[in-house]
Amino acid sequence: MDLGFLLLQLLTGLAYASTLFLLSVGLSLIFGAMGIVNFAHGSFYMLGAYLLYAFTRGQAEAFWQGLLWVMAAGLVIGTLVERVLIRPIYRRPEEYQILLTYAILLLLEDLVRFLFGAGYRSFPFPPAFSSPLLLLGTAFPSYYVFLLGLAAAFAFLLWAFLHRTRLGTWVRAATQDREMLEALGINVPLLYTAIFGLGIAMAAIGGAALLPLQAATPGMAVDAVINAFIVVVIGGLGSVWGALLGAVLIGLLQAFGILLFPEMAMAFPFALMVLVLLLRPWGLLGRPPAVRT
Amino acid sequence: MKGWRWLLAMAVGLGLGFTQGQQPIKIGALFILSGNFAGYGKSGSQGAQLAVDEINARGGVLGRPLQLIVVDDQGNPEVGVREARRLILQEKVDFLFGIDSSSVALAVAPLTDEYKIPLVVTHAATPALTEQCRPYVFRTSNNARMDAWAAAALAATLPVKRWANIGPDYEFGRVSWQDFIARLKQLRPDVEVVSEQWPRFGSTDYASFITALMRARPEGVFSTLWAGDMVIFARQAKAFGFFNQVKYFVNPVGAALEVLVPLGKEAPENLLVSARYWFLYPNTERNKAFVDAYRKRFGEYPSYNAQEAYAGMHMLAAAIAKARSTQAEAVRKAFEADGGLVYDAPEGRKRMRPEDHQVFEGLVWGYTKHTQDYPFAILDRLRIVPASDTVYPTQCKR
Repeated sequence: MDLGFLLLQLLTGLAYASTLFLLSVGLSLIFGAMGIVNFAHGSFYMLGAYLLYAFTRGQAEAFWQGLLWVMAAGLVIGTLVERVLIRPIYRRPEEYQILLTYAILLLLEDLVRFLFGAGYRSFPFPPAFSSPLLLLGTAFPSYYVFLLGLAAAFAFLLWAFLHRTRLGTWVRAATQDREMLEALGINVPLLYTAIFGLGIAMAAIGGAALLPLQAATPGMAVDAVINAFIVVVIGGLGSVWGALLGAVLIGLLQAFGILLFPEMAMAFPFALMVLVLLLRPWGLLGRPPAVRT
Repeated sequence: MKGWRWLLAMAVGLGLGFTQGQQPIKIGALFILSGNFAGYGKSGSQGAQLAVDEINARGGVLGRPLQLIVVDDQGNPEVGVREARRLILQEKVDFLFGIDSSSVALAVAPLTDEYKIPLVVTHAATPALTEQCRPYVFRTSNNARMDAWAAAALAATLPVKRWANIGPDYEFGRVSWQDFIARLKQLRPDVEVVSEQWPRFGSTDYASFITALMRARPEGVFSTLWAGDMVIFARQAKAFGFFNQVKYFVNPVGAALEVLVPLGKEAPENLLVSARYWFLYPNTERNKAFVDAYRKRFGEYPSYNAQEAYAGMHMLAAAIAKARSTQAEAVRKAFEADGGLVYDAPEGRKRMRPEDHQVFEGLVWGYTKHTQDYPFAILDRLRIVPASDTVYPTQCKR
């Protein structure tokens, strides 16, 4: 097997990994900081795709403005959902979160079906990325390069935010000890609203950014949230870097798995998930649950 | 006093509406109305409704109107069985109808024996359904084996030898490929298989499959990717230049409007595709009347699933009329009698094979092409595969 082809396969694997990372990082961030298992995460991802379609009226030329609008809409929607729906259930048992976020998923699926119909919506590549790059004599879609860059930018900005800003320090502190943070006079409810808004905006941008490569349909939310959970279970629910690691592992497993065992490549991510659950149930980069006294 | 009169008028109106108080013949239809495949279920239920309205406008069957009850089976066998049982026990339906998913159809089929309620399947395509030889299960649409055999008949005429597959990793994809390649090797012993790719059904990223396929340098690629899978695959593969390298891309379900309409002007050209029915074929008054009526009613072109449900409903009505009864045994005999029930559908003649209750029909294929007239790709250079090329042997006996 020649080196050039392996490099190409590495790139396609990383491209797939970027799509998974964009999909799952918000889920992990929200769980890590707030302890909310957000089943509706995939719905906001879907909403991002449909909103891009609506803001641009399906015109590829309007892609960049559309992306900005989706980001703004994601922030607003995420903030509202947290204030109105999520806030009342923080102190309730976890089943309530699952029921509530699952209800949001069903509501949003029916809402987009009502507004956009039951079929598939596709969106052309933005003009800047409409022609492929030539890599080692093979055409490689340039949009994947954009996605790789976008995922890397997300990862870097998130790192800078969490480790180089005061707000980020509070977010990290919230994952450790919420009471102590409140005792220090920090407005934790406001912080939670901000985190949820950020996480939802990331999901929405992810959905919008992936629309040109995929297709929007009302049922995509369920598939998306399952994929996102596989990624974060492997990487560690609550860990942003775990989401990155999980996404890269699955992407590479798929890309190289189909070369070695084309008959059963699809089993690899699940096999990896089972292995992680057996050996390190809190995920590769997750923290084992603290013993409560 | 005034209210009483109003009520009386309504009662009289209702009585007239139901053809002089006759009990309607109830037909319970199962389609996927939620999730990723809701577009298919919507087409199917629309086609069935159009047929029911036509039949009722001409006085119903046996002097009784048809009443269609459509439920969502979610493409899920457990939900399908639960809903089918509810239709039989609570709604007291006389017939079950429709069904998109093969796994739902296989799960619901045993109920036909249990309750003596016939089932007319108009979409689910696993050959196993009719090979179970159940007395009250009928399929009025063609199945996946017939599609694969038609594809093989066409592929055998193409000047290429190196074949590969990319199909969804479940029964439909696997069985279709086995049927296709086995049949092709019968017709053309010189063909070879250079790659098989099995992405998960519902995948959203095909990049590594596309590059792996291209590396094997196939000349022809057989695919049964359908619905959103085909929409997403076609766009990603096009971005890789896949369709420039591969000479023939053959997909028996690629001409579904549920695929071509979302792809719009981005659909690759020169794909050799079919879809059990193509709304521009045949160029007959019968087909044009159907397309016009459907467009007028629903504001879109009829997809294959719409036409199959429409034709299936008319075939069922014809069988009931011929049987002069809605009893399962009488309807079965009507479907089987005289060498099998024949119906001239918008797409052409359908004939039911009495042994296995499978309908056979000519199939239309063609190469995708963009024109000024439609915002999506249409079929050009049509290739018609006669029904005789798809008649596989059955183990059923009657």
